[in-house]
This record gives sequence, C-alpha cells and structure tokens, in this order.
Amino acid sequence: MQNTVLRVKSLSKSFSSVKALNNISFSINQGDIFAFLGPNGAGKTTTLRILLDIIKADDGQIEWNLDGNTHRLPKANQIGYLPEERGLYLDIPILKSLVYLASIRGMDKTEAKKSALEWLERLGLADRAKEKLQVLSKGNQQKIQFIASILHKPAFAILDEPFSGLDPLNQELFIEFIREINNQGTTILLSAHQMQLVEKIANKIFLINKGEELYNGSLSEIYKTFENKKIIELHYKSALNEDSLKNFKEAENIDVIENSIVKLTFGQNSDLKTVLSNLAQLEGDFDINIHKPDLHDIFLYLVKNH
Amino acid sequence: MLLLSSALYFGGKYALSESIPEINVFVLNDNNGTLTKILKNNFKVWQLASDQKYIFIKELNENKNNVLLDINNGIIKLYAYKNNRDIKKLKKYLDIYHQQIEMQRLGLSADDLASVLSPASTEETFIIKDNSSNRLILSYFFAGLMILAVFLSFAYQFTAITGEKQLRITEQIVSAISPQVWMDGKILGITLTGISSMITYSLLFIFGGIIYFQFTGASVLTILEYLHFPSIALFIPFALIGVLIWNAILAAIASVITDPNNSGKSSLMMLPVVFVIASFLVTRDPDSGLSVFLSWFPLTSASSMPMRWAITEVGIWQLIGSFLILLLTFYLLRKIAAKIFRVSILLTGKEPSWSEVYKFVKMK
Repeated sequence: MQNTVLRVKSLSKSFSSVKALNNISFSINQGDIFAFLGPNGAGKTTTLRILLDIIKADDGQIEWNLDGNTHRLPKANQIGYLPEERGLYLDIPILKSLVYLASIRGMDKTEAKKSALEWLERLGLADRAKEKLQVLSKGNQQKIQFIASILHKPAFAILDEPFSGLDPLNQELFIEFIREINNQGTTILLSAHQMQLVEKIANKIFLINKGEELYNGSLSEIYKTFENKKIIELHYKSALNEDSLKNFKEAENIDVIENSIVKLTFGQNSDLKTVLSNLAQLEGDFDINIHKPDLHDIFLYLVKNH
Repeated sequence: MLLLSSALYFGGKYALSESIPEINVFVLNDNNGTLTKILKNNFKVWQLASDQKYIFIKELNENKNNVLLDINNGIIKLYAYKNNRDIKKLKKYLDIYHQQIEMQRLGLSADDLASVLSPASTEETFIIKDNSSNRLILSYFFAGLMILAVFLSFAYQFTAITGEKQLRITEQIVSAISPQVWMDGKILGITLTGISSMITYSLLFIFGGIIYFQFTGASVLTILEYLHFPSIALFIPFALIGVLIWNAILAAIASVITDPNNSGKSSLMMLPVVFVIASFLVTRDPDSGLSVFLSWFPLTSASSMPMRWAITEVGIWQLIGSFLILLLTFYLLRKIAAKIFRVSILLTGKEPSWSEVYKFVKMK
C-alpha cells in the first residue's frame, strides 16, 4: 500500500466576501504527480499557499507525513516550491542565488554549488553561472526558477503554474524535468490550467472551480467514466446560426466557442443515426471532428453540470 | 570627513566671530553728549543738525549704512535702511545709555546700580555633582549614535525588505523559513549593518576630534574626562535596544510599502527623530512628571533614561524597570512586524491602508 504523504481535510478560505475555497479535501501518495486543475481564480494558488502556511486557512486540517511522522507543516528541506509569482535576486550572480536558496532549505553549500552547476549544464546555462539573472531572457529566468525550487532534492515539490510563460518547446522540456525528478523519488503537486500538458504527466487530478471540488481521483478513472461519451466538434467556416442547434435535444451538453466552434457532447444511449440526420439538416459550411472527450472537455462538462 | 569637520569648525568660528560694525551712526539732540560718548568707542559717530533730519531719512535708501538716532523727551527714535546684526549691537549700547540717564535722574552712582543688579550671594552644595555635565554629554553622544545607527539602517530597510518584496522573492523564502525568522533576521541584520557603519563614523569623528584639539590647543586627554565607564556600560544596552526597536518599527512600515518612491508611508521613516528630540526635554527638569514619563515610555526611554541618570538621582529599580519595558516592547514589536509582513508579502499592488494594517496585526 502506498504511503500517504499529504492529507487535506475540509479546507475552507474566504477573502472578504469571496469564498476562495469551500470545504475541499484530498490526499497525495508518495510518488504521485498530483495536478490541481482549474481556470484562473479557481483557488489553486490559495490552496498551495495554505499548504505551506504562507496564508492561513479559515477552516480545515492539513497533515504532512514525509518522514514517517505526522506534522502540521513540512520541514524546509523536504519541500521544493515554485511560486506562481516568479521572482529571484536580479542583481546577484545566478549561481550565488541558487546556492543561497538551497542553503536556506538546509542543503550544504558545496553540494548545492555542485548540484546547481550540473543543472545549469543540462539547461545549457553553465557558461552564464556567474552572470546576473537580469541579463537572461524570460524563458531562461523561468528555468533558473525551476532549478531553485528543486535543487535541494526535496521529497515533495509544489509547482504553481510551472508551464506559464513558456513556449511549447520549453513546456515539453519542463514536462521531462518533472518526470525525471518524480522518477528520482520526489512527489509532485502541481497546479495548471493547461489541461493538455497535465494529461501527459499527472496520475491524479483534482479539478477545481470557484473554490469547489469538481473531481478528485486518478486520471485513468475519469477517462473511464467519460469513455462512453462522444464529442462532435463542428468548425464553422460560415456564419453560425445558434437557433439551428436546438434540434440536438439528445445532446447532454452544447458549447459554442468564439461563435465558430460548436462542441456537442452525447451520452452512451444517444442514437447516432438521429444525430447524423440532424447534422445533415444544419445550415452553413463546417468541418466535423468526432472524438472521445479529453480532459478539457471533461472539465467543461463538469463545470456546466456542477 | 576630516575635511568636512575642519570646514565646519573654521566656518563656525568665522561665522560666530565679532566683526567691526559697518554702520555710520548720526545722533540728533544729544545735548550733553552722553550717547555719543557711549557709542564712539564701537561705532563711527557724527552729530546731525536738526534741519538735516528729513533729507537724511529720505536718503537712507542710498546711504544704506547710515543710522539716525533722534533723542526726543527720553525716547530714542531710530531710522535705518534695515534691521541687521549691527543694529542689534547698537541697541545694547542704547540700553546702557538708558541706564545712565535713569541713574542720573534717580541720583544713583554706578556702584549703587551694580550692587542692585548683582545676583544673590549663595554657597552651593549638591549631592550629585561628580562629572554630571560630562555624563550628560556622554548621554547626548549615545542618543546621537542611536539616531545615527537608525538613519544608517534606513537605506537598508528599503533594499532588504521593500526591494525583496518588489522582486517577488519573499514568497519563495517564506516557504522555507517562517515570516518571524525572516523578520528577526532582517531586523538583526539591518541593526548590525547600521551599527558597523556607526562604528566607522564614530572612529572618523574621533579623528576629527583629535584634529580639533590640535587646533584649539587643548590636551587630547580632555576626551578621557568624558569617558565615564559605568555610564557607558548603562548607555550601550539602552541604545542597542533603542536601535532594535526603531528598526522593528521601520521594518514593519517597509514591509507594507510596495513602491518607496511613491509611498506616503516613506515619510514615517523620520519618526525616530521626533521621539529622540522629545527625549531631550528631560534635561530641562529631570524630575518632572513629563521627564519620568519619557524615561519609561519605550519610544523615548532608550535616550531619556540615560540622560536622566546623568543629571539626577535615578533608582536602580527604575533603570531595570525601564530597560525591561524596552525589552518587552522590542519583543512585541518584532512579533507585530512579522505579522504585518506575513500578510503584506502577497500585496504587491495597492498599498494597504492603516486600518487594513491594523487588521493584519489582529489576525490569528
């Protein structure tokens, strides 16, 4: 049986009159890549900050168990944290910053320097170790941020929006790094809103919207739950007449995106013949794409039916 | 620093030196010549004919150094282009003239007047007299050092606290260490940096002092008269805790500032000066209720209590009590500073108002 390293029970938090988190619970096992998924303002960052005691919850319990004993807070050396609000010392040499940040998490300075140089080498930044961070491009600064969060080889890494601001190539690179540190034994809790990236690495997901849980479980289970559903996407080349979509009475969900894409979700019992017949009667010029629901579709479906 | 000290010394000496008056004094109606006699040793004096008076007054715009004294029934009318240092000096001699006229009227001799105006003859015996003025100067010195240390720390407050906040590095750091540890580290680090700068400046002042003694001809050993070691042993801990208290307050203020260039709260950094200046009130009457209050009130006691101790009798229990309040205040202020910092880490946009800061302090 896998060891539970983090258990969260009935967490709630309000900011003035806004309920940021409403009674959410989840647990993470050792070795998991657990993804917190939701749109901006869903409560992801608030949850992560509460876990690290940066802000206080109004209610709820948090239990960390990274060393065989239960604690309210983890030790500094057990945790790696990549905050959503990126920031490092801009006018200090990169290597010095990395060593300092690893040292406040309990890592020996010599070891930190060696490890930092190894990471910089892998990211193609070894020759810039003595330069100041401010001379690096934004993408490279992101890489340094990432190194700073995992340099001390934490048992548990919290990565808040690790893919934001990265180009597609660097997003793939970060996915590789996350897989790698996970294989080396670091449990990962990450938050993101790029569902297609999360699908590639997470084994468990927590879907959250407006501070409330939509789904909490394994990625495979949620696919299994939705595998009998079908999505028909209509990509309009001509003007869309939304009134004509009323004929699809058997559709469980109809989404119109930017007035040019229509997503129709059908359940297991939908009669495909009727659906196709209705499609044939639709006005306008459009392409058809039929596929099983991906995580994004599932999320939209859950939000609508929440 | 040495050049500055020398410039201040010689400049001050020049500024305060007695200069020869530049005005030309014209006297009208000084019938017995008494006023002319009093003035002639210090001013250039001329008699003026009555019919010249109005032309003289009219031409004062051009003859700016001319002054007219018109004696009329015991009243002296003074006409001059403007009031200046020479006129003030002239008025002192007019007082002497007035005294002489009054003495003549009353039939008093100069000895009689001197006797009337002489101070009471007293024999003074004070219990506390040993070097109290030297100890007071020493307490001023430590109050000065304290304020100097706070001001030298001033720049570091923004670099260390507001700067880190602007760089958005604080969230990363407080995920590793608690806000209290962070704040304690900042207060202590800033204080030590301020004190190390203060020591450097003190050494430079000592060198400046040595040069000053060389110029004035006084023995350098004079400085040893001011070194009262029991006082120094008392002043150092008071000054040290005073610096820590102010740095805790300023650190709390710095942590809510998001942009020091545009924040109204930046001016609060001058607050320590007000309280240190207020603490000097104890030297007027060290045993008054106000002085006792200032020597116990934690924002002034770090400088007021040493000053009171230097010039009056202060019980040991008062010293201990005042010091314990200082310590307790520092303990509480560092807690409050950490609380404010904890909440304000994430506030990088609009600065919180004072009522919001108060709410931060009340938070669990």
